[in-house]
Amino acid sequence: MNGGDSFQLKTALRFLSFSVATIILCLVSKSAKAESTATFIRGVNLNGPVVEVDSRTWQAGDSGDIRSNGSRFENETVILKPAAKASLQKILHSSCWGSKFDVELLNLQEESYRVFLYVWEDNQSESFQILLNDQVVVQKYESGPAGQWNRLGPWMTTSNNGTIKISARGGAANFSGVEIWSAAGTLPEFHSVDAFNTSPSVDQIAFFESKIRPVLIERCYECHSVESSDVGGALLLDSRTGVIKGGESGAIIVPRAPESSRLIAAIAYADKELQMPPDEPLADYQINDFRQWIMQGAADPRDDDTVAKLQAKQQVDLEKARDFWSLRALQLTEPPNVIDSNWAFNAIDHFVLHQLEAANLAPAKAATRESWIRRATYDLTGLPPTLEQIDTFLADSKTDDVAFATVVDRLLSSEAYGERWGRHWMDVVRYSDTAGDNSDFPIPQMVRYRDWVIDAFNRDLPYDEFVRQQLAGDLMPTDSVDESQNRLIATGYLAGARRFGSRVDDYPQHLTIEDTIDNLGRAFLGSTINCARCHDHKFDPITADDYYALYGIFQSTRYPWPGIELEQKQRDLVPLAAKEIVEQEEAKRRQEQVVFDREVERLEALKKNAANDKKEAVTEELKKAREAANRNAARPTSYQQAYAVIDATQIQDAALQLKGDPAKISHTVPRRFLSVLGGQTIAPDDSTSGRLSLANWIVDPNNPLTARVMVNRIWLHHFGRGLVARPNDFGRQGSPPTHPALLDWLATRFIQSGWSIKSMHRDIMLSQTYRMASDRSPASLLSDPTNALLSSFPRQRLDAESIRDTLLMISGNLDLSRGGPHPFPPSTEWNFTQHNPFKAIYETNHRSVYLMTQRIQRHPYLAIFDGADPAVSTAMRGVSTTPLQALYFMNDPFVHTQAAGFADRVLQSSDDQTTQLENAFRISLGRRPNSAEVDRSIDLLQAVKASLVEQGVDANEARKQAWQSLARSMFRLNEFVYLD
Amino acid sequence: MIDRRTLIQSMVGGSMLMPGLLSQLLASETDLADPLSPKEPHFPAKAKRVIFIFSNGGVSHMDAFDYKPELFKADGKKTGVGGGLSNQQRVLLKPLWDFKPGGQCGTLVSDLFPHLRDCMDDICLIRSMKSDDNEHYQATMAIHTGSFFFSRPSIGSWVSYGLGTVNSNLPSFIVLAQHLPYAGTQVYANDFLPAYHQGVRVVPGAEPIPNLDRRTGSTSVQQLELDFASQFNAHHLAERESDQDLAARIRTFETAFKMQTEAKEAFDFSDETQETLDMYGVKAGKAEGFGWKCLMARRLAQRGVRFIELIDGSSSHNWDQHGNMAEHADHAKAIDQPIAALLKDLKRTGMLDDTLVVWTTEFGRTPGVDGEKGRGHHSACFSSWMAGAGVKPGITYGSTDELGATVAENQVHVHDFHATILHLLGIDHTRLTYRHGGRDYRLTDVHGNIVHDILV
Repeated sequence: MNGGDSFQLKTALRFLSFSVATIILCLVSKSAKAESTATFIRGVNLNGPVVEVDSRTWQAGDSGDIRSNGSRFENETVILKPAAKASLQKILHSSCWGSKFDVELLNLQEESYRVFLYVWEDNQSESFQILLNDQVVVQKYESGPAGQWNRLGPWMTTSNNGTIKISARGGAANFSGVEIWSAAGTLPEFHSVDAFNTSPSVDQIAFFESKIRPVLIERCYECHSVESSDVGGALLLDSRTGVIKGGESGAIIVPRAPESSRLIAAIAYADKELQMPPDEPLADYQINDFRQWIMQGAADPRDDDTVAKLQAKQQVDLEKARDFWSLRALQLTEPPNVIDSNWAFNAIDHFVLHQLEAANLAPAKAATRESWIRRATYDLTGLPPTLEQIDTFLADSKTDDVAFATVVDRLLSSEAYGERWGRHWMDVVRYSDTAGDNSDFPIPQMVRYRDWVIDAFNRDLPYDEFVRQQLAGDLMPTDSVDESQNRLIATGYLAGARRFGSRVDDYPQHLTIEDTIDNLGRAFLGSTINCARCHDHKFDPITADDYYALYGIFQSTRYPWPGIELEQKQRDLVPLAAKEIVEQEEAKRRQEQVVFDREVERLEALKKNAANDKKEAVTEELKKAREAANRNAARPTSYQQAYAVIDATQIQDAALQLKGDPAKISHTVPRRFLSVLGGQTIAPDDSTSGRLSLANWIVDPNNPLTARVMVNRIWLHHFGRGLVARPNDFGRQGSPPTHPALLDWLATRFIQSGWSIKSMHRDIMLSQTYRMASDRSPASLLSDPTNALLSSFPRQRLDAESIRDTLLMISGNLDLSRGGPHPFPPSTEWNFTQHNPFKAIYETNHRSVYLMTQRIQRHPYLAIFDGADPAVSTAMRGVSTTPLQALYFMNDPFVHTQAAGFADRVLQSSDDQTTQLENAFRISLGRRPNSAEVDRSIDLLQAVKASLVEQGVDANEARKQAWQSLARSMFRLNEFVYLD
Repeated sequence: MIDRRTLIQSMVGGSMLMPGLLSQLLASETDLADPLSPKEPHFPAKAKRVIFIFSNGGVSHMDAFDYKPELFKADGKKTGVGGGLSNQQRVLLKPLWDFKPGGQCGTLVSDLFPHLRDCMDDICLIRSMKSDDNEHYQATMAIHTGSFFFSRPSIGSWVSYGLGTVNSNLPSFIVLAQHLPYAGTQVYANDFLPAYHQGVRVVPGAEPIPNLDRRTGSTSVQQLELDFASQFNAHHLAERESDQDLAARIRTFETAFKMQTEAKEAFDFSDETQETLDMYGVKAGKAEGFGWKCLMARRLAQRGVRFIELIDGSSSHNWDQHGNMAEHADHAKAIDQPIAALLKDLKRTGMLDDTLVVWTTEFGRTPGVDGEKGRGHHSACFSSWMAGAGVKPGITYGSTDELGATVAENQVHVHDFHATILHLLGIDHTRLTYRHGGRDYRLTDVHGNIVHDILV
């Protein structure tokens, strides 16, 4: 392919943003290196008169050199997109059309040519195939919204008996014109509009000064000048550069074509959606002045470049925006001095105590060792400490700091740590085992990403690497096969973006990309970037350009297809196997599939010709054959696959979508990072989607957000709330940190530790701050009612997973091994639709992180106990308290089963009732009962037993059941579900 | 079982720390940490509660509520919008049912709904409804949440959030659904609103609300268990008395205990007369059929439930007649008499004065044919109706073009529909907001105009 030409074509594609699934081009070889000029052979206005275009004469459609079997059609009222000069309008507005027709250009010399085809759309988008001399040149052309037109080509071809034939197949195609050039030579530049008048006459300048400029000043500058506080539609009318550039919707003037100029449509109030000036229309004579001005090429003597001025001004605004707390560079301050320096153990304590002392508050006393180990164990593992662990810790005679550190290290090295903290991350990335489309297709491979997250926490994968692999693991090859596959699996983060709807051809990919950008913004940057999808962010310095700069990166990324209603098979997953194995198997599958497909074809033919009485039988047979063919195609591969992303075949920048509507395309935005964070662009020699660059920009130590956001998440899960109250929103709508200096100190230390999350845990958990009891002092209740200053440890309710895992664990029923894959039905049986969506609940005694969770159907248990939302990022769990939760503890069979298990365990732990009771308390609440509590428990045991015996229950059975009663009662205690 | 007041008082004795705080707890007994306690509306309103009936699948407006004489002239040649997702030209399909005037007002309703036709004097029929998506899933989401693609809180959750509930022994938002509609649990999800605003799905049958049945051998054993927990919890609270969450959780066990009987009572129809059961078409002792749901709705409304939704049909068995419109008859027959009975029953008990009854579907159907004798999806226009508190009875509002293909006048978009329902409850839809993920959300997003013409 000729480099220059292919580039030209690509640019055209980008500009017009239509989708061409496959373009098979006849190759244009660079036959002559010489810079000769191409020869214009012929132009044909297929359904119109003779036209002069750029001083070249085009033939009329009814000239003898043309033959067409298409219908004729014209509509001059449709506004062309992009705008076209008058001569082109004459060509475009009329056409030959049909869903199967040919246009033949006759009487050509027998040689090779380059051909351009003018197509346009007058109403709704159609898709069709285009052939040139019976060769497919565009496999699937989408004609786009009304008014869209395109000059396709050049395609190389050779005339056939003096004829070039262009054909359309499929949807209704509108062919307006054909342009034929010699095979060799440089093609002249193509301009769809006339140039602006840059050498105006004296009269023209006088006209501008007397008729145009005063109106602009009086009626337009308020909103459309560099001095405007908010420039309307990004349009400047106070300079020639502004007028020529146009606004966010593109050009406003088509020189010498006033009726195609949006400026005229706006001031003539012709377009309901765009009427300017908005308060009162211009007088008719003024509108006519503008028409005349445009007819003369919009001569404009103003040479002040306000476009550049506005850019400079915006740069200053950006600098100002960076002065917001979360966007300032990290400030490394020394831990402040405190009065009670004995209390403070590490730097964290200095920061916390400093603020407490300033508020005249004293920190709470230290928690008991019993409280602390329960707190720490739940914190790091989501499970209660065992009796042995408690005993060992209580008996540890080493100094506190050594004894506490021993526990923290033990917990951090347990498998359960990754399961707990992996789940926190799964909340943030809205992990789900289904896709979220209308039928909620299952994704059996998603668990690989889940396991990758758990392992990443367990091996303390540095956070910067953690981010990089999730965004671009596929672009980070290594020599190790295992490691490569692992990194691929990590991109399950992106692959897991939500799917929508049920259609295939017009699948709303822009929503999946929005979901991607929304999540990565919140997860890594604490930013609500997706607010800029429809307009510049209302509160934060993020523009719609920023949004579409990132959009281009994900538009250039291939997401796997989970299957949705109208195409129920998975595709585009990434094999976790050697290329040869994959190719071998694919070849074999194709071969096998042919047998099934042939059978379908045979029956289709048979059905066509079948006699009426046989038709039903054949139809039934055909249906079965189709099902068999589909089943065969949906067979799982013998090798493993990852639900992961790779780069798309087409890497391209995205065009801005006005108001977030993919049908309303504006200018193209080069792929880059958010301007306020530096606006770094992709290196010119980088031919990838740019995801690895994006990941590197995100984890750049100079990025003020990434480390702050992550240390805040870590802090949140230790203290029940973050230093920044809204962990997913570090913008102006969020709230500033309660301890800004501490936040920055932690963030800096995080980066310096090599982004080690486990180091952060150690710093935080060994602090005196973390060791405080949860008792509130009257003084703090008065002056710091929400405990923002942390004068005591915030009491926390266990989350849904911890409650369930605890019940399973203390009853002896918890399976601590890995959860493994979910028992989904085999892919060959996937016929889910929005009418019969996938819906399942899989019981398991594994930890709750391994429960199968769906996007559309909430898991009933998780829904009752404020589980994470599998459709959007959950920064922190809600803590609602509802009667349905109480009913669960009172009557749910699961609770009753675990109570029975717990009672058995306790009864078997000793023969002595007091010891049994002591164990019951220590296992469920992590502490010994006092004598009053022992007495009260014995009362319950006796009362229940008596009541049961009275009802005729055998004494032994009654004793057992009484213990179950006690177990259930204990499960309902606030102390059971709250952490002091 | 120790009641909470005794419990708190017993704590006052032992507390040296904050007697002031405890008396405060006692003073505000009713709304202590109860996020569902009744809230004042933005302005006074007649409607105190909503019964929201959703017919799933797309009920054909031109066959039921929107008389189109031009369509009856369909000669098998004239075309109009038709086909599955309604963007093709297809032959027009004649409606299968005659229209007759109903009530004094004479509103035309087809023979699909003879019983409802008799109630037209109480109904405000809207013939100019408009949605934006021709897929069931999206349209069903939208009519419930105002959002077509993204999960958002359901209208019932918003109402619960805005007004709370007067009976804390029952959920504020109850959904009577034998089967799930399109979009599954999302239609009654609280989404980002706190979980107590979640719609509680009631499945007609043995245990309509999960875990409502006492699983302990006897009430006395359960009572012993709960007393034990209450005492321990009271002691626990006494040392942490400033923590309202702990107190609130104690309270939920009291409520749950009462729900076991109170909710059960609600589900037990034995105190209804045979005449009432017959009117709804309910068979004694059988929790089935739409009549059961309608009578249940009245009973829940009587008990102060704020928002009651009735789901007619499921995602796989519903009004979606692509191939044969005649099947509409079965679906209509199943709900016509029960809904009419509900309206009459509410009226005779005076409850219609402060109860808003809403009936809607997710979209209408095409005037042109789909399949052999069916109609396609059509969000460009459809019919819905409201009745009761604050709504003008016996009127129709809005109209469609002569074929029922587009709204001709007074369009009521889904957002307008929602804004109007909230308004009838005394809620300003622009002020009922919830801060989530850095922005304030509304049921109506940035849209919604109240349809003042249908208000009394």
